Amino acid sequence: MNPRSILLASHGSDGARAAEEAALDLLGEGGKLFHLVVVPDFWKGMTGDDWLNNAVTQARFGKYVEDQLVREIGLEVARLARAAEQRKIAYENGVSLGKPADCLAEAERSGTYDLVVVGAPRPKGTPGLRSRMSPETLVRALKTPLLVVPHPG
Amino acid sequence: MVYTRKHPALLIMGVIFVAIAILAGSGAGDGVIGFLKAKKYVGEMVGMGYAFGAIGVLVGAWHWWGKHEEGNLDYYMSSIAGGIFILLIAMVVRWYGAPLVAVASKGLGPVMGAKYLHDVLGLNYVVLGILAGIITVNVFGIPKWAENGVRLSRLGLKTGVILLGTLYSLAELAALGKLSAVMVGFFVLGAVGMVLWLGRRRKIPNSMGGVLSAGMGVCGVSATVAAAPVVQAKSVEIAYTIGTILIWGVGCMFLFPVIGHLLDLGHIQFGAWAGTGILNSAQVAGAALAYQPDGIETLKVAEIFNITRVLFLPIIVLWLAVWYVRLEETAAGAGPQVNVGTVIFEKFPVFVLGFILMFALSSTGVFAPAQHYKGKYFDNDIAAGKLLKDEQVATLGAEAGKLQRADRKQALASLIQNRKIMTIDDETVLRGIYNAKVLSSDANKVLKTATKVVRHTAKKIKKFRQWITLLFAFGLTGLGMQITVAAMKQAGGQPLVIGGIVGTTKAVLSLIVIVLFVSETI
Repeated sequence: MNPRSILLASHGSDGARAAEEAALDLLGEGGKLFHLVVVPDFWKGMTGDDWLNNAVTQARFGKYVEDQLVREIGLEVARLARAAEQRKIAYENGVSLGKPADCLAEAERSGTYDLVVVGAPRPKGTPGLRSRMSPETLVRALKTPLLVVPHPG
Repeated sequence: MVYTRKHPALLIMGVIFVAIAILAGSGAGDGVIGFLKAKKYVGEMVGMGYAFGAIGVLVGAWHWWGKHEEGNLDYYMSSIAGGIFILLIAMVVRWYGAPLVAVASKGLGPVMGAKYLHDVLGLNYVVLGILAGIITVNVFGIPKWAENGVRLSRLGLKTGVILLGTLYSLAELAALGKLSAVMVGFFVLGAVGMVLWLGRRRKIPNSMGGVLSAGMGVCGVSATVAAAPVVQAKSVEIAYTIGTILIWGVGCMFLFPVIGHLLDLGHIQFGAWAGTGILNSAQVAGAALAYQPDGIETLKVAEIFNITRVLFLPIIVLWLAVWYVRLEETAAGAGPQVNVGTVIFEKFPVFVLGFILMFALSSTGVFAPAQHYKGKYFDNDIAAGKLLKDEQVATLGAEAGKLQRADRKQALASLIQNRKIMTIDDETVLRGIYNAKVLSSDANKVLKTATKVVRHTAKKIKKFRQWITLLFAFGLTGLGMQITVAAMKQAGGQPLVIGGIVGTTKAVLSLIVIVLFVSETI
């Protein structure tokens, strides 16, 4: 397989980084990489059962979390953009809020790709946020071939 | 942006409320109400059914067919759908769901002594309402048309706490205030210190230790929300901490009442324990109402502990800010600055001022005579027709010789002479005679009658009690709608380990202290 355009879902975890490596290797020089970062929708419920704080404090918290996520995503994007540039791969990125599988399917629908690349779920017991890609949703929704790269652990 | 959604949901909910009112009011629903033994709710079904049904139908018609333009009217009116949505769920649970669970539970027979399963598990309208909220958000999701109004639950809870201020006497507030300051001061500061200490030992980042200590020490997610920007927590730290706190807090809310029933704790003991050991203030209220659904004595105690703890929030946030800045300055040479005034001003819970204001107003006698206790007060300015009759006086006179104690003799003599109780002290003594069953049952009946005519229920206080219950039922059901399993699932990593150790230690130690040192009288 010699894909020229890849849709990659990555948020910088170990499994996602393995997927990044695989995507860059597969594309090679002149390829096009679209990097999708998904902000999981559990963040919408992250003020939980807070009822004591006033609107100012809640707004400040919301802004703080948003800025923090933007900063963290910015670091991931910059890192992957550098790696793509070194290999002369055209790089674009996008950020979506929602369920990872739904967001990826939506991104695939709105572009033309030869391959979709994702990392495998991390092994049980490995620390990390719990917002996994639902394989069934993904497989049913995608029209493009899907490559799941094994977790390095 | 236009917030109001063109949707028939509010109109339909209004019609449901009206239907409930008609069925209850006309007697057509008597069969169901009788089966559920829910007759005590008929007044609420009719009153609230018509009132909120009318609001739902009128505003719902405007939502569906009206023209909506951007502005304050649109914003505030759009929230009514969410408010009525919470209210309908809360009231259906209160009027039908909880009674049905009770009937089913009684059908199983007693499971622990004379207690039924729903008593032991605290499965009443409060707990079931929170569960209904949690199920709603996690299984069906909050409908778009209700999203803007679900936040009204916070207003319901804050209003409930403010109204609660009317129910305390000065002596009660002073005694509970002292006890709560000692308990909360020790356990809150202890929990914050313990998390920071354990965090250092387990080598977690300062920001994670800071945000977790606030959550585990003061008031759960609320403290985390307040502290996260101050200690510059990373996103994963926030997710771990909030997940841990939610799962711990929700677990405690369901577990505490069961343990309380098993240990047969009194209302004051349970309220003090819940107020100290449970993390989130709303969960404290939930556990207190779960423990005593048909009265609010436990809630009253728990809320004083809550308020004391909430008052610690600005102090803890300030402490963490200074602590964090000092550590970061040491590590990096210079760190962020802390504005003490801004932190205190922004984190001070303004609704506590409302509580204090209502307490002050209540103390002036606006709602009931200042000496009222639990909404009842002494007043012997009664009509002549309510004075004791000749034969009643004769019954008492014939048995006066049975009394030995001077105070009892004097109180009874005063009653016989004046045909009514003259002072509160006399009333207390006569109650003692009644409870001691020194006199015959006929004489005791007369004493009861004499006591009854000078004891009055303050109508406004009675209404406040009813409103407080409804506001908490509404607020807690709505709060349940904000607890997502997705957020709880983020519990993990070191915060789960440290939070588990500190939370358990706080709950167990505070229980031991309360069982050993807190009596059932304040």
